[in-house]
Amino acid sequence: MYEALGIVNFENSDVTVGGLTDYRPVAALSFLGRFRMIDFVLSNMTNSGIQNIQVYTRYGGRQLFEHVGRGSQYNINPKRGKLQLLTSDKQFRNDVYNHDIAHFMEHMRFIEASKCPYVVIAPSYFVHCCDYSEVIKHHVEAGNDITVVYSSLENADKNCLECDTLTLNEEGRVTAIAPNIGKNKNVELSLETYVMERKFFIELVKKADETSALYWLKDIVRDVCDEVKVGGYKQTNKVCCVSSLRTYHLNHMELTNHVAAEEIFKPEWPILTKTNDSAPTQYAPGSKVKGSLISNGCFIEGTVENCVLGRNVVVKKGAVIKNCIISADSFIGENAKLENVVVDKDAIVNHVKKLNGTADAPIYVKRADRI
Amino acid sequence: MKKDNMVAMILAGGRGSRLYDLTKKVAKPAVYFGGKYRIIDFPLSNCANSDISVVGVLTQYESVLLNSYVSKDQNWGLDAKDAGVFVLPPREKDDTGFGLYRGTADAITQNIDFLDQNEADYVLILSGDHIYKMDYAKMLAAHKAANADCTIAVMEVPLKEASRFGIMNTNEEDIIVEFEEKPAQPKSNLASMGIYIFSYDVLRQYLVEDDQKADSNHDFGKDIIPALLNTGKKCLAYRFEGYWKDVGTIDSLWEANMDLLNPENILDLADPSWKIYTEDVNELPQFIGANGVVDNAYITEGCVVDGEVKNSVLFTNVKVEEGAQVIDSVVMPNCVVKAGAKLVRCLVQENTIIPEGVELGHENSDKIDLITYKNAKKEG
Repeated sequence: MYEALGIVNFENSDVTVGGLTDYRPVAALSFLGRFRMIDFVLSNMTNSGIQNIQVYTRYGGRQLFEHVGRGSQYNINPKRGKLQLLTSDKQFRNDVYNHDIAHFMEHMRFIEASKCPYVVIAPSYFVHCCDYSEVIKHHVEAGNDITVVYSSLENADKNCLECDTLTLNEEGRVTAIAPNIGKNKNVELSLETYVMERKFFIELVKKADETSALYWLKDIVRDVCDEVKVGGYKQTNKVCCVSSLRTYHLNHMELTNHVAAEEIFKPEWPILTKTNDSAPTQYAPGSKVKGSLISNGCFIEGTVENCVLGRNVVVKKGAVIKNCIISADSFIGENAKLENVVVDKDAIVNHVKKLNGTADAPIYVKRADRI
Repeated sequence: MKKDNMVAMILAGGRGSRLYDLTKKVAKPAVYFGGKYRIIDFPLSNCANSDISVVGVLTQYESVLLNSYVSKDQNWGLDAKDAGVFVLPPREKDDTGFGLYRGTADAITQNIDFLDQNEADYVLILSGDHIYKMDYAKMLAAHKAANADCTIAVMEVPLKEASRFGIMNTNEEDIIVEFEEKPAQPKSNLASMGIYIFSYDVLRQYLVEDDQKADSNHDFGKDIIPALLNTGKKCLAYRFEGYWKDVGTIDSLWEANMDLLNPENILDLADPSWKIYTEDVNELPQFIGANGVVDNAYITEGCVVDGEVKNSVLFTNVKVEEGAQVIDSVVMPNCVVKAGAKLVRCLVQENTIIPEGVELGHENSDKIDLITYKNAKKEG
């Protein structure tokens, strides 16, 4: 067992989930009703035995502070472990300077003070189960300087255009990293999850800072892959990439199927989150619910097909919602008809409204909107 | 120590033998209720919501699960600096050796040191086996306003049922003048709910005296309250209006669960201002499958419904397979209703697997069928 410092990185600026990310970072985005995106990476870390974790956030600290807290819900030992939420005091007006390297430099003393020999860096916009202790083991055995976790992606010509792809040689060494420009159907997708020695990481961050004022961590990793040994670690579990409103909607629709969801939620790998103490959900007489994933605290009188409902959602009589994601505390009024709509928190969609999006272009209803 | 410190003591040692197999390995307060709760979540959450910080839980019968359950005080937000849930099972003592709790009052007497330690000004005595929501802070305010020695929560019951309860006869100021345990000819319909607030100095004195009496049952209803009344202490009846249910039998437990299907139910577990807290099971939200039919149901986390669920309550992690039917039933956690099985008017014990095609219960039965993991195979 190798001791590692966990670093939850924020996503690059290309990753935006429609209007949802106007209000919160991707890390704090709700996923499958009761979870938030960050639950997956944090659970992966604590399930892998990582007890010291730094969460970097570019903006929107409030939701993360409230949700993550001291991290005891993730099994972080309140005395021996530590979860640090690191926001930035140096926000630049020009957003191109607000990159992860700037944040790492700002908080360098915390990274330097850590006693852990290794670091695991991972973002929260990929939903998957990943045992980082296996990645570290592979990293040490392969003698890598940097190990990048990747996943084979089909339909890369349409999906994950915000991400990077890897070129690997026969020994599993990464020879090139390039943005996914949608040219190929099948690619090896970088999950932006890196393992390296902590000291190496510190040097790499400093090097990035010296090289360019605009560099992100992934840029310097791309630069050094012909100088140092960058190895790949293939993730064979199912990976959901949430990098746009369309993929957010698409992944949710896929996971309303219980069998598909079992590929992500495994009994031996619990995904932990904060409880909200909502009562069970009430299905009124005459309600029709099919193929859906429903959180607690809902009250349903209408028709719900292939939807994901967050906590405390109300669906009134005569309302028909299909292929929708309704976030927590929202209200769907009598006879409202919604198809392929993503409704943000606390919204009220009142009766005789008809909203029809498509799977390729779902409609987004803003937080606390009344329509 | 804070001013007017009220310490709650929850009597949770009872077996609840009329719940049969449900209480074979756990005490009644640990029995599941309402989809995601256990019965004891109700008094514990009421305490937390009433700003009580120190809660003692007196356990005795089959207490291993209950002790570990209630000791996770963070589940009810009772883990602040000065707060805590303290498990108090019987213990070995220097002078008297090991003694079980001989009655409800004796359980408190044997823990007088706990109350002394916590510098109680008032003691709230609760029972761990009732379903209700109550603000004990309001009850304490009434106790203080009346300058009472003891305040007993009461509720009006139909007069013809009054002979099943402990009945309080009061004057026009709701001061109790007489207490009758299960009277044949009830003079009033104010039934005791088994919820008492005592001024601690008075309670302490009466408990110590009662402990010396050889003929005492060491019971609050039978001994302590009558002793207070006989010696002219001021006992106030505190009227409670709302949902209150003793879920002591299979039928009443089934019925109280079915009450949750009524959206007008005054217990209203969805009320955000008075939440009932419980252990965090960390399950997925509920899946209603492509073949699922859900009509009038109360369903919680971890359930997967691909069959038909009608007028029923499903607890955590219940699976209803394709073609299975659950009608007018209460299904406790981790049960699986296999394909083609049918349940009608049943209460199913936790962890029970209903095999494929088995039909249990009857539409017109006058008693609810208790299905345990032992008798689940029986053909209906």
